[in-house]
Amino acid sequence: MTFDLTPLAPYLGDLAAGARLTAMACALALAGGLALGIVAALMRTAASPLARRAADAYVDVFRNVPFIVQLFFLFYGLPEIGVELSAFSTGVLALSLAGGAFTSDVIRSGILAVEPGVLEAAQVSGLSRLAIYRRIVLPMALRTSVRPLGSVFVNLVLTSSILSAITLNELTGSAKIVAADTFQPFEVYALLLLLYAAMTWLVSLSAGVLHRRLNRDLG
Amino acid sequence: MRYADFTPHDLLLLLQGLGVSVALFAATTVIGLAIGLAWAVLRYYRTPLLAPLVAAVAELLKNSPVLVQLFLVFFGLPVLLETDLTPEQAALITLSGNTAAFIYVIAVSAIEAVGREQLETARVFGLSRWQTLRRIVAPQAAAFGLGPLTGLLVNQLQVTSLISVIGVVDLTKVGAILNLRTLKPFIVWTVIGLLYYLMARLIARVCARAEARLRAHSQWKGL
Repeated sequence: MTFDLTPLAPYLGDLAAGARLTAMACALALAGGLALGIVAALMRTAASPLARRAADAYVDVFRNVPFIVQLFFLFYGLPEIGVELSAFSTGVLALSLAGGAFTSDVIRSGILAVEPGVLEAAQVSGLSRLAIYRRIVLPMALRTSVRPLGSVFVNLVLTSSILSAITLNELTGSAKIVAADTFQPFEVYALLLLLYAAMTWLVSLSAGVLHRRLNRDLG
Repeated sequence: MRYADFTPHDLLLLLQGLGVSVALFAATTVIGLAIGLAWAVLRYYRTPLLAPLVAAVAELLKNSPVLVQLFLVFFGLPVLLETDLTPEQAALITLSGNTAAFIYVIAVSAIEAVGREQLETARVFGLSRWQTLRRIVAPQAAAFGLGPLTGLLVNQLQVTSLISVIGVVDLTKVGAILNLRTLKPFIVWTVIGLLYYLMARLIARVCARAEARLRAHSQWKGL
């Protein structure tokens, strides 16, 4: 029983390349998930029952089906209908779709926390619906949901490891290769565990700082 | 020639995969519940050294991908300890530990949700710490914790799908096998997804029932 990290030194570059790919996929999925989440949250809090039901169904499906099943559905299904995407694009798409479902939950509760009086005041002032959403509801809802959005993003980073199952060599995928090359799987995966923990810790730390900064005038 | 059509045997395979997924989910939930609650009791008694250690382990397990934990146990542990692990054993160990970490967090916050003055009252009445935990804290904490527990269990069911990556023939692996043989991804993955969805729904409903029962005492029944 030995624990020796030194043979891993020449492979740090590979792991860094994997980490870059993970970071890029997560950043793109964050943007996609946020966009989808905002739209879904607005639909779920809308007056129209049709929009509400459609958005609820979307969230229900993507929250209750395992991510790996969604990923395989897209990865094997999309080429079948003539949409040829790279593994990276498929991964980002799947992450955005799943992330959007969880994001919409957070933003929805942010929207519901906006006092009805504020909305009435805006309506009385003669603001258009678009202006009310753009200038009043969304800024208030988004800034109170920064911290919970941080934990959704943490989950997104952890979930991104599953992208290694569709041949994408992000951090986990490249670690698999390194483990096979060095014959030291325990060291490699232990290091990987700590790397992910450090990454997610940084994410939740910065989400907390941002949250406090944006909400500093709320007391 | 290729056997690209679905056969009645596929249904059997599907049921087998479903059985493996459900069995592993049930086993890891029971083991995780036992370990997580034990950790929470360690914290309740403020055991020196052990309590902070457990908190650190739980934090690490919570903040790393389950897939990496699976790889660490399945590929790493046998090399380090020079033993053999079957994929099923590795899955059982990893998922139990992961569930335990989340149960620990839920249990700790549920215990803390019980008001301090109740603990003080119990002490005044001369109850020991164990009696306080058993008779006063635990019943209330169980009711507080069931809501988050429901979310956790639904999530853990989905996490079981990851064990297909290390070769356990669970529902997802059966899906991958059928997908490769029939090349009908839409049908296969829709059926697999639907089965997971129904199971998640079932778990949520059972937990909601249990929560209603546990909270029955605090419901207003009228005079």
